[in-house]
Amino acid sequence: MFKHLGVVGAGTMGAGIAQIAALTNTDVMLYDINETILRRALERIKTDLKNGVTKGKITAEQMTEAVTRIHPRTSLADLHSCEFVIEAVIEDLRVKKDLFQHLETNVKTSTILASNTSSLSVTAIASVLHKPERVVGMHFFNPAHIMKLVEVIAGRNTSQDTVQRTFELSRLLGKVPVLVKDTPGFIVNRVARPFYGEALRILGENVATHEQIDRIVKSVGGFPMGPFELMDLIGIDINLSVTQSMFDQYFGEPRYRPHPIQKQMVDSGMLGRKSGKGFYDYSNNKPE
Amino acid sequence: MDKAKKSEQDRKKGNAVLYIIGDSPLIEEYADFCSLRGYEVLCQLNSGKKAEKTKSYKQSNLIPAKTSLALELTNSDLSLKRKNMERLDKALPATSAILSTSITVTATEQSSWIQKKHRLVGFGALPGFLERPLVEVAPTVFSPPQTMEVVKTFFRSLGKELEIVQDRVGMVLPRILCQIINESVFALQEDVASPADIDTAMKLGVNYPLGPIEWADRIGFKNVYAVLSALENDMREDRYRVAPLLKQMAESGDWWKQTRTSS
Repeated sequence: MFKHLGVVGAGTMGAGIAQIAALTNTDVMLYDINETILRRALERIKTDLKNGVTKGKITAEQMTEAVTRIHPRTSLADLHSCEFVIEAVIEDLRVKKDLFQHLETNVKTSTILASNTSSLSVTAIASVLHKPERVVGMHFFNPAHIMKLVEVIAGRNTSQDTVQRTFELSRLLGKVPVLVKDTPGFIVNRVARPFYGEALRILGENVATHEQIDRIVKSVGGFPMGPFELMDLIGIDINLSVTQSMFDQYFGEPRYRPHPIQKQMVDSGMLGRKSGKGFYDYSNNKPE
Repeated sequence: MDKAKKSEQDRKKGNAVLYIIGDSPLIEEYADFCSLRGYEVLCQLNSGKKAEKTKSYKQSNLIPAKTSLALELTNSDLSLKRKNMERLDKALPATSAILSTSITVTATEQSSWIQKKHRLVGFGALPGFLERPLVEVAPTVFSPPQTMEVVKTFFRSLGKELEIVQDRVGMVLPRILCQIINESVFALQEDVASPADIDTAMKLGVNYPLGPIEWADRIGFKNVYAVLSALENDMREDRYRVAPLLKQMAESGDWWKQTRTSS
């Protein structure tokens, strides 16, 4: 059904999506405006596939075949053969709208156009097209070639047929699709807000320390990571901006209000693992 | 196993009774768990009904004087909890400790219900967490080291470590978890996704051990509602308002259970 899949944007997510598609016997047109990024993406995919062979997860033949199925392209016109295109470019509504307009003129009228947005409105992206019914959200989780979930987002004008075919593609890629109405944060980013927000409130109210909260959440709740470890891993700046975006998109709904502790940590440059210090100290590369 | 056997022997020598009072199914969970670890357990359900018959523990409305430790496990009906606490305080000798759940009402507030305040320590208990290796414990300003020692020994005998937190409504895990459940029910009531898809999304997208809706089913929507409305009353902030659908799920238990099993 999907002989050719188009993937636009060869960053981490785009490359990950291309990799799983190629491994499930789909030919991928991997597009990026920047040739260097394309080359790096292919290198990353090859390295990851090689690791897969070393670990015995795939065979050497599967690796070779997957690599030949990924076709790097720098012209959108080369996506003409694709029945399905997934966009994974920067999270910027203007950039995405512009790209979707270009895509519309380059692909067949039956081609489904999916956006891997995590925070923008699928309805807004679709609004610039003549046929908004073929636009859908397809939110993969990082790392895309490992995480099983795909949130399939039906925008205001997305057709039933588009949703159904997006489900089919998701399953073809070995993913588990769930259907979501186009609302800020979709399911995961929205329902996960209190995991961080309440933990910050509890810390701010001095009910327990961040180490205690992490211990309780893991030991009593059975969560794989505590909220503060996870914020450190995600990046406190990234976590704050997701929260801020939810808060803004819901016009100041107090459940999504960011916490001053987050803001102060970002202001002080304590961003988590990537800066060497967040709620925990990573200067010895390990949380104490 | 060896450890459990040893503590079992130790306790049998003492001939002390553990008295448990509260709501089903938490009371059965605790009664079973404790009697399997060698405690002589007597329990009483708030409903006055008989708990699921098991051989391991007895039921009694009388609080025996040889009770060394009493557990008060009511989370939802606070006037009933107060009556239970007053009864326990009157019946028990001054040396007996009371461990009372302090999620929906702080231990400090509960200490104002009783005469012998030194015997009370709060802790976190909701259905479905008894097997976990950690428990949240909230002492009050009146809890002396002797009472804390009794509490520590008790939880260690159940294989649990203690995490001492400030005595506030919601404690730590119940507050975070119930707010996650509240958010998921807001999403449900807005028709953002189906209950099954919300659960799947949280398990596969962010590795939650259970989906929020199935978690609420396990804890009981009545308990989740009790935690959330206690937070709402305590904080008086819009952030803590309870999703109207969640209240309905709590108050029409059978309807929700049927909907859940038929979907």
